[in-house]
Amino acid sequence: MDAVKSSNLVKVYYSKEAVEALKGVNISIRKGELFTLLGPNGAGKTTFLRIISTQLFPTKGGAYVLGYDVLAQPNEVRKHIAVVPQDVATYGNFTPLEYAYYFSLLRGMTKHEAKVAAKKALEAVELWDLRNRTCRTLSGGEKKRAIIASALSSDADIFMLDEPTSGLDAVARRNVWAVLREMVEQGKTILLTTHIMEEAEMVSDRLVIMHMGTAIAEGTPEEIKRLAKEKFRVVVEGDLNSLGLVENGSRVVKFGSKWIVYVRDEDEALGIVGTALKKGLKAETAPVTLEDVFVKLVGGETD
Amino acid sequence: MNLKVVKDVLVITALKSLPDLKRQPLVMFLVGMISSLPLYFIIVFGADISYGLIGAMVSTISFIGMNAAIQDIAWDRYVKIREMIVAMPVHPIAYAMGIALAPLMISAPSLIFFVAVTMWLGVLTLSSLLWAAVSLILCWAALSSVGFLISTYLKKASPYTLNNLANILGIGLGFIPPVYYPEEMLGSFSWIAAVFPTSNTASLIRVYSGSLSLPFEMVVMRWLILVATTIVFAVLTISKARWREN
Repeated sequence: MDAVKSSNLVKVYYSKEAVEALKGVNISIRKGELFTLLGPNGAGKTTFLRIISTQLFPTKGGAYVLGYDVLAQPNEVRKHIAVVPQDVATYGNFTPLEYAYYFSLLRGMTKHEAKVAAKKALEAVELWDLRNRTCRTLSGGEKKRAIIASALSSDADIFMLDEPTSGLDAVARRNVWAVLREMVEQGKTILLTTHIMEEAEMVSDRLVIMHMGTAIAEGTPEEIKRLAKEKFRVVVEGDLNSLGLVENGSRVVKFGSKWIVYVRDEDEALGIVGTALKKGLKAETAPVTLEDVFVKLVGGETD
Repeated sequence: MNLKVVKDVLVITALKSLPDLKRQPLVMFLVGMISSLPLYFIIVFGADISYGLIGAMVSTISFIGMNAAIQDIAWDRYVKIREMIVAMPVHPIAYAMGIALAPLMISAPSLIFFVAVTMWLGVLTLSSLLWAAVSLILCWAALSSVGFLISTYLKKASPYTLNNLANILGIGLGFIPPVYYPEEMLGSFSWIAAVFPTSNTASLIRVYSGSLSLPFEMVVMRWLILVATTIVFAVLTISKARWREN
């Protein structure tokens, strides 16, 4: 049985005009994996997560969590999930311990169980030492970890986190990634949304790229990267025209004085680097990144 | 209502009140101080202090009920705690009751103070206190429901807008109708007192304190209006408030 499954999920928001946020999304998330919804702003990631977490009614289609219908059995679904919403803030007067403790009580734990769960969760996110500090005195990363701990303390089977690292610095982001991977190691299922490519590539077991309400690619980060016919990128700084690459049909993208040339194999990439260096240009090559493939797939790139 | 719902009401009440009480204890005097303001003028101008004390009790309840319901829900949405709780096995009624009870707990010292002074001065006896308590509870329930309703209909309003609206309504309902002054001052418009839960409650408490004399049928009518107002707003809240959004 899948941890989460959606079939032909449609969501239309009606205000002044109808906006189709999800256009028939089919996604299956396996138990025990970290699955990422990757997409630009407005792709439908949050809408999908809010429907799955019983916060929003879909317009059409079905969604199931551990086999429970999110429409017909929301209370069953809620017993098995914990959610960290997008742009979640904290109450300044709350401490991380109070967040985790009270949220555990709301999950139905006894006071003793809640205390134990809160301690475990705060230790997991390395906030135990700061447990009695009010949230107003914590850094942005610490506040975010406090919220994650409050979800973590629930001991739910499935965690749904909507852009949990947005606004965090690199160190805080990596701390959160470590916590997420640790949760997966413990057998939890995680549904994550992000528009940060590095995050999706680093933490996901599998991911789906969403664009304008549609799932346009699904697989492991490596599988997604294989979707591009060009496997390598060469970054050249200087006058690219002297290399004759545009004429030979290579895909070239310009950023100021830098050019990115996409090529099919490593030999071709090394050949370009060699030629560029001989002509006195700066050049380096690397395999294509998830971001390269993502930009190509969502069509936001100027060739 | 099962045990889990009762437990969740208590947890949400604690969650929404204890951290504030612990770290900003002055908050417990805030509503009471605002409600006491007219009392000073009543004392200075030598008017009957019982009007001021009863007014302060009702106006405290008015602030607690409606104002707090709007503000708390707005801020819960703003900081997204509400989204986290929606996705938990928590009944919406438990959430609503917890949200409504928390400010009552925060302002309880002020309320207890007013009740104590009222009894000390002999404005209320032990038996009339019982009727006063019932009417205050109904007033609190009615105004909390109004607060929830407003919050439900103004889902897209910012917390700041809702804050301002809550303050305007709180002051309006507490100070404009005959809450601090006798309804007889309105002359042929004294029926207005029955329309608002705040002034209706104040009039009923005055009846039991002996400072207002109404025919028995009129007292029954006032109770019926207060109960009906509470039921209507509560039913509207339950039918209109949705845990899951469309």
